[in-house]
Amino acid sequence: MRKESPPDNNTARADLIDKVTGGAVYASDIRVPRMAHGRILRSAVPHARITRLDVTEASALDGVVTILTGEDMATLAQIHWGLFLNDRPVIAIDKVRYVGEPVALVVAETLEIAEAALDLIDIDYEHLPFVDTAAAAIAPDAPVLHDVHDAIADFYFTGQAKPVAGTNIFQKFGVSTGDATAAECDAAHIFEHTYTFPGVSHFALEPHSVVAAFEGDDLTVWSGAQSPTAVQKVLSRVFGIAVANIRIIVPFVGGGFGGKASVKIEPLVVAAARKAGRPVRVTLTLAESMLTCRRLGATMTLHTSLDKTGKILSKRATILLDGGAYADTGPAVAAKAAHRIIGPYDIANLEIEAKAVYTNTVPGAAFRSIGGPQAVWATESQMDEIADAMGIDPVELRRRNLLPRGGEILDTLRPLDADIGDMIGRADQAIMNLGDGAAAGIAVAATDPGILPLGGALVRVLVDGSIIVMSNSVDIGQGVRTVLREVVAKMLNQNPNSIQIANPDTSTTPFDWGTGASRSTVIMGLAVEDAARDASDQILALASSVFDGAPNDLRLVPGGVAHGDEFLPFQDVYHRAFGVDSGEVVGRAMVTPTRDGSDFKKSPLFWETAVGACDVDVDQEIGTLSVTRYVGVADVGHAINPSGAEGQEEGAAVQGLGHALFERLDYVDGQPVNATPIAYRVPAIGDIAKRAHTVLIENGDGPGPMGAKGMGEGGILPVAPAIANALARRYGIRIRDLPLTPERIWRALRKRGDDAT
Amino acid sequence: MAKHHISTTINGEPVEFLCETQQTLLDVLRDELGLTGSKEGCASGDCGACSVTVDGRLVCSCLVLGVEAEGHSVETIEGMADGENLHPLQQKFLEEAALQCGICTPGFLIAAKSLLEKNNNPTETEVRYWLAGNLCRCTGYDKIIRSVLDVAADMRSA
Ligand code: FES
Ligand code: FES
Repeated sequence: MRKESPPDNNTARADLIDKVTGGAVYASDIRVPRMAHGRILRSAVPHARITRLDVTEASALDGVVTILTGEDMATLAQIHWGLFLNDRPVIAIDKVRYVGEPVALVVAETLEIAEAALDLIDIDYEHLPFVDTAAAAIAPDAPVLHDVHDAIADFYFTGQAKPVAGTNIFQKFGVSTGDATAAECDAAHIFEHTYTFPGVSHFALEPHSVVAAFEGDDLTVWSGAQSPTAVQKVLSRVFGIAVANIRIIVPFVGGGFGGKASVKIEPLVVAAARKAGRPVRVTLTLAESMLTCRRLGATMTLHTSLDKTGKILSKRATILLDGGAYADTGPAVAAKAAHRIIGPYDIANLEIEAKAVYTNTVPGAAFRSIGGPQAVWATESQMDEIADAMGIDPVELRRRNLLPRGGEILDTLRPLDADIGDMIGRADQAIMNLGDGAAAGIAVAATDPGILPLGGALVRVLVDGSIIVMSNSVDIGQGVRTVLREVVAKMLNQNPNSIQIANPDTSTTPFDWGTGASRSTVIMGLAVEDAARDASDQILALASSVFDGAPNDLRLVPGGVAHGDEFLPFQDVYHRAFGVDSGEVVGRAMVTPTRDGSDFKKSPLFWETAVGACDVDVDQEIGTLSVTRYVGVADVGHAINPSGAEGQEEGAAVQGLGHALFERLDYVDGQPVNATPIAYRVPAIGDIAKRAHTVLIENGDGPGPMGAKGMGEGGILPVAPAIANALARRYGIRIRDLPLTPERIWRALRKRGDDAT
Repeated sequence: MAKHHISTTINGEPVEFLCETQQTLLDVLRDELGLTGSKEGCASGDCGACSVTVDGRLVCSCLVLGVEAEGHSVETIEGMADGENLHPLQQKFLEEAALQCGICTPGFLIAAKSLLEKNNNPTETEVRYWLAGNLCRCTGYDKIIRSVLDVAADMRSA
């Protein structure tokens, strides 16, 4: 027997190297043989009946393969699909409900031909009255977008939407504890304020891109999808194909943030491929992606009562969410907003109602912390307004109401697993360390990730000691491959460089719910940890027949198995056990809600918490605001990949900065007027704070491997209210509508000036 | 319509290709030459994901026509590493988590390299100005700035 050998070093972070050399293949880089190209004709009107759709001339154009329209939908197994409500046709049938809705898809030999054919399609509309705001959508005489509400239970998230028949309301969700009305009678102070948060774009730099190919009855789809098994399920229903015959492959994804979660353009592209009889590729432009989904805008009214010491007695909230033309995952957004508007505070009496409504605008969808930034914007702005009115320091007001670790935000939810007071202290310290004294504004947040604990993985230990991990967790830039590699390396005591993480592929890889809601580190982390443990048990059992020893005298070492100071490479273990110099061991695991050793019965599995502290500077002549210092604090349990975790928080904070200062998808007369990358402003490199710092708290107390909690969403939450609170503190102006544009700031400064004189 | 025959140099190698008049240099690189490392984000000059250099000058390849490459020398991300040896910027970006999804990364690397070739001692403000045409929706930029400044310092002391 040999001594321990050095581990091989062949696959060192191959995925990262591919990303810096241009070798990484993204969905938009996929090309397959015989592929044709699709371009989409989109509705130019917000709400109308299609009275004529004539594709004769366009079809006659040389190089046009086929044109998909609503007429082709009759042959589908299921014409309308959705995640909570089956409300969306694969392509518009008879009616359009928003500007940008696909009405025809031209498939041609080249993109240029497809583009040219779009101009030859004749379409006439009979205009219908439209609503482009949530307030208009719930007015008594509002046009109703959908005649029927076909709600489906437990389809993607658990639960069912509660639409209101005959109205545009597709979800109503309430939280009620104690007696808010009675509490208000005893209150010393009652504050009522309304805050708004506009619909904003995901603006992932890689637009949606899908290639679909049939081979006989087998369908293969390459998509930059965050939830490959959800895509598979919806396609199975819509096209009447067995799940086993549908293969979803997900290459690298150029940013998702929720905008590529659940299902997006896949049914449309598959329908085109089916009609064309050959593979079809559709890559949207960034402008088209902006017409595909967005964050739900919100109007939130808070009614908060306190006693004279500043203890909150009750909170009533109404949340009205603009869900766009199709519900998508909007019902879950509404439910989460209702939880997330409470804050990490001890409030005995709550009365919260969230409504999500259809409007003739781009469909709303999940976006990093669903409903969170909207809810936290309202709650944390109001905390400062109350503090100001009562003459209490804003941090002190929060401290008087914060729940301790272990406190219950709602008794139906898992107790809080972080110490927000301590996080505030660390934020204070960190911002002082940046120089120029204390923060001008802070905000805190605690959100309950909507995680379904359902996901499997395989860990294959090959004969030469190289290892393949098969998981459907999608690399959208969150660093999941690095995390999974670390977890497997640790469990099997192998060099991380010997471990490859395969691309998600539903034909070879077990079910996973999807990549989102900060779940992959915990759920997929546990799945690969369990699968690695299973592999380890099998290898040690094999080895015990080879060595003269019981499995517990044996241990895995890099490249093989050791017994005392004897070492046997995997190859020799397999050789002796299998009688041939080949074979492999497959470890497998499926994490389910009843996983041994886990307490998955109560939601959330962990709390995603955040504190943001900042200072701002305003050019009072023109109203532009810059953030001069920013600190974010997150309790992540354990950072498996520390610089990656820090990067997640920083990236989230800068998205929050965009939401705070620039971003708003604008509608005028039902037309999205800035849904292009030229007109829509996201943060650029010059916009970020010159002095910034991220604090990660690691107590090893999370449910994931090594005590990790999920993370990556929290950092977006406190940014906007922290900035608005700093603006109020430094300049004496309070703005309740996002974004904090120069015009709004300038007008508020002028008004303040008038008040002062 | 007849296609144009273009002779150019790409990453140091002579390359000839046929293209339509309206095809951008980015389309040619990605669709005709299989060089998909340059990415298409906005296709309108706003994101920098398609950054390449033409005769050493940093451009958005989505705003350059393929035919304009005639007689010029184009450098793309595929030519940045020297064989197996990564350029120091590539090395630093992956070490320091200056990339997440990586779709913006080729553009940032090409732009940063072009900055350091002109100015090996940039201030943070100069880095911010030079990279102002490159958008990243993932990282929050700070690690990108740090990486560029660190590489500049390393290269000066080397
Ligand atoms: S794709 Fe060229 S600048 Fe965005
Ligand atoms: S890393 Fe994703 S856009 Fe920059």
